[in-house]
Amino acid sequence: MKSFRFVLNLTVATLIGGLVAVGHAEDGVTKDEIKIGSFGPLAGPVYMYGKLAMNGLEALFDKVNQEGGIHGRKLKLVREDDACKPEGGIAAVKKLIYDDKVFAINGGGCSNSTLAARPEIVKAGIPFVVNSAVADGISSPPTPNIFTTQLTATIESRAQLKYALEQKAKKVALVAQHDAWGRSRYEPMMTALKEQSIKPVSDEEMTIDQNDGTAQALKLMQTGADAVLLIVYPKPAAVLIRDSLKLGYKPLWIGQTAIQDLPQLQEQVGIPGALEKFVSIATIPAHPDDPEMAEWRERIKKLFPNDALSVFNLMGIGSGMVVVEALKRAGADLTREKFLKAMGSIKNFKTGMYPGPITCKPPASNQCNQSVGWIKFGDGKPKSAGVTTLD
Amino acid sequence: MRAVVSHRALLVVLFAVLAVLPVVANQYTLFVGNLLMLYMILALGLNLLVGFAGQLAFANAAMYGIGAYGAALLQVRLGLSYWLAAPCGAVLAMAIGTLLAFPALRLSGIYLALATLAFAQFTQWVLLHWNSVTFGAGGFPVPQPEFSALGMSPDRGIYYVSWVVTVVLLAFAWRVVRSRVGRAFVAMRDREMAAQALGVGLLRYKAMAFALSGFYAGTAGALYPAVLAYVSPEGFDLFQMVLHKAMIVVGGMGSIAGSVIGASLLVYLLEVLRQFKATQEIVFGALLLAFVLFQPRGLVDFLKRSVPGWSEPLHYASDSESAFDVAVADELVTGSRGGADR
Amino acid sequence: MLVLSYLLVTGITTGALYALVALGIVVVYKATEVVNLAHGELFMMGGFLAYTLHVMVKLPYVPSVLLAVAGSFAIGILTDRVAFRPLMKEGLVSVLLATIGISFILKGVARVLWGGKGDYLAFPPLVSPEPMRIGNVMIMSQQLVVLLAALAVMLVFAAFFKTTRAGKFMQATASNPKAAALVGIHVSRVYMYTFGVGAAVAGASAVLMAPLTLLYPDIGFPLFIKGFAAAVLGGLTSVPGAIIGGLLVGILEQLAAGFIGTAIQDVSAFIVIMFALIFLPTGILGMRGTRKI
Repeated sequence: MKSFRFVLNLTVATLIGGLVAVGHAEDGVTKDEIKIGSFGPLAGPVYMYGKLAMNGLEALFDKVNQEGGIHGRKLKLVREDDACKPEGGIAAVKKLIYDDKVFAINGGGCSNSTLAARPEIVKAGIPFVVNSAVADGISSPPTPNIFTTQLTATIESRAQLKYALEQKAKKVALVAQHDAWGRSRYEPMMTALKEQSIKPVSDEEMTIDQNDGTAQALKLMQTGADAVLLIVYPKPAAVLIRDSLKLGYKPLWIGQTAIQDLPQLQEQVGIPGALEKFVSIATIPAHPDDPEMAEWRERIKKLFPNDALSVFNLMGIGSGMVVVEALKRAGADLTREKFLKAMGSIKNFKTGMYPGPITCKPPASNQCNQSVGWIKFGDGKPKSAGVTTLD
Repeated sequence: MRAVVSHRALLVVLFAVLAVLPVVANQYTLFVGNLLMLYMILALGLNLLVGFAGQLAFANAAMYGIGAYGAALLQVRLGLSYWLAAPCGAVLAMAIGTLLAFPALRLSGIYLALATLAFAQFTQWVLLHWNSVTFGAGGFPVPQPEFSALGMSPDRGIYYVSWVVTVVLLAFAWRVVRSRVGRAFVAMRDREMAAQALGVGLLRYKAMAFALSGFYAGTAGALYPAVLAYVSPEGFDLFQMVLHKAMIVVGGMGSIAGSVIGASLLVYLLEVLRQFKATQEIVFGALLLAFVLFQPRGLVDFLKRSVPGWSEPLHYASDSESAFDVAVADELVTGSRGGADR
Repeated sequence: MLVLSYLLVTGITTGALYALVALGIVVVYKATEVVNLAHGELFMMGGFLAYTLHVMVKLPYVPSVLLAVAGSFAIGILTDRVAFRPLMKEGLVSVLLATIGISFILKGVARVLWGGKGDYLAFPPLVSPEPMRIGNVMIMSQQLVVLLAALAVMLVFAAFFKTTRAGKFMQATASNPKAAALVGIHVSRVYMYTFGVGAAVAGASAVLMAPLTLLYPDIGFPLFIKGFAAAVLGGLTSVPGAIIGGLLVGILEQLAAGFIGTAIQDVSAFIVIMFALIFLPTGILGMRGTRKI
């Protein structure tokens, strides 16, 4: 009967998990602690947007706690994996809200899982600040409890296209990943192209694991595209740029926020001078190796000895800074309502982690980040190429 | 008869607990409970195909996806009500599943595995690229069916629907394996040639096995949009396939109770694994390995040996294979002579 | 014409990647009749080991590669000990699931150790990173290295199976393990070395391919699945078949991308596999029937 009881115990344990649901004033806040939840992929091909962003958040919380916390309360990060899947997103968010009982959520690594979880977040009214996912549908139509410190796919797509037109591109082409990530950008890009009544001369596809881009490069070259909008990850981008160079084809490459570690991209392409005509959008004001990031390099090293400070860490840190600021402004008597009000009051807040200041404008828009920072690569290091602020 | 009671008792207790879950559990636990029942259906269907009929197919997650997309798209694109769209989704998966029986006539083992795997990858590709129908990789929200007439929230309402469907499909699977069809499956798995010689029509029974398993996966799929209110391709990828396979191996190949136990254990473990944050892949891999190593015939085998009175007939090829074959052949011959199910 | 020649050459160079992966799969399958689903992860581990030694510890290229290959060999032997030897009798599904378990463990370990160093790690090529001209076609020098390596490994294996005692032991074990044991072949030792050799091939190819594929914890599976397809197309048991299967898959992908559309590139191999298996179940150079009685 031992194993019979074992299986029974499993179900009973699950049951009891549900029973311990004694409500109190505000979830996730005690006299000396505030629980902040985060969800995103902890494993799998896009773990960077979950695990690494959370590592950044943890480094930030560690710093805040060292400095005495917020109104005497220490910050505690609760991580949940969404495996980058809809059922994972819903389960992770429900767990954070009803089981872990966190005060607020700062996360969202994958567009589809976050979109799937949005109805639950809206229903529960828990404050949610998006740090990585870019799908427009996550933060719009605006709802009082969801803010984002990340750019949206529409903002980025419009900016990419605008840049191409400013550089007097005559023939614009498009190379995209048609997975969930790519799709959340591809559609807004198509809309942006339509707005400008531009028909792309070529619309090619690459996958995240593709090891050769010759076929795509040939097609682009045949159509004579002079600017190529890249909706791909760094690996396919590196492969495509490499194989285009091989063919002697050098258009203007315009990337987006998935490709913002340009020294690394240069290494990935391997051919010297490969990024002469490459530009991308940065969510960060400086490269992780730059002097102004020294403090965070050390903090990440301290907590995660195997890691090096990455762009993804910085996404978590920047977004977390906005949450921390709102927690401070909400005062010692912390409630979700006060926190949301404080989020709404953030104007021109400089984190040093985004190319421009953070301004939330509820109720019209909870899109708190409007700065598109352009980066290029030259003389062996990344350089800022200006900031476009949208209104 | 006391013997038969034991494994049934376990299932009765399990489903009794699941029945009262909505009353006592929070929404997270309710959601996981509902997913669990979907996985039970998936594991039952896969076990009929792999564990009983011996067809090493890798398309279960694709069938699950076809059921889910069928049910969801019929609602969103054609405006059908959920109650009409859901059975259509399940039947669609069954129809496509049946077609897989044709390659299975010529292929077995690792070759059948790869052919069905290729089919699964192709299905993923269609879901990702047929934008005008499937909405592509971005997925789409699906309205949940209403239960306000019963005074229930959609989450709770669909939970009870899943409960009833799971119980019905469990009972049905039970009947199938104890019928002549089930015996033919086992015979086909253990000695295909011998089974054929004894009059088991391979095409007919392979088609039946694939159809049944397609229907089960499709039914789980049809419940999916109602439970999640959202459908996108990554819910039906290769990891799902691995998960379904793991469930039947951990529970016990060729065992109905094993399918349910395996699904319960894996869903439970996956939720517990959330605690391991950074190292959950390692822990998941290690658990999988440990189970296969130390309990290669699944938990039911362990239960059978250690629980007095646990007497579910286990349909794997036993150590004395030939004796088993003779028994099966006997049973078959008797079955066909009698012409009835028992 | 230039486009076609580019597509063909590219097909061959990417096909060489698949062929190298397929070779490891075939060697293991030939002796054990099992497909190691963690083969892609063995490849990934070999690459990361070399990265650690060469890029992080800054050892010279050759010793780094040798040590990485030795490390892969050890992981291969471990796979045999843990997942194959105890489960041989339990059947295919158990072994497959055990190797899936191993692949999860290896991926998880890689993510903890190297996953925080950047999204896709670059590994220095053996030859110049600049492209070179062959006829009127430019190709990456490293791609040529991979292609030559694939051919070299094929020749070594072909010679090994034909001429050496160990190779003959392996084949004997594969065709009839009981008879092999009766004539005094230490069957389980043969299995163990087979797994080791398969993994060592994966490790060696990882070092050569890493400059082209880049290194990341999830690199293994997509390569494995293409390599597996190549191996099946070549018949699963044939060493030259693995090379031909790999090149075919590579060329097919390029032609599909070039003449049908780049959207179909990734899935084209699977469509062909599906039909090839149904209508040509023994593969191109396969020797065994589809159904064992």
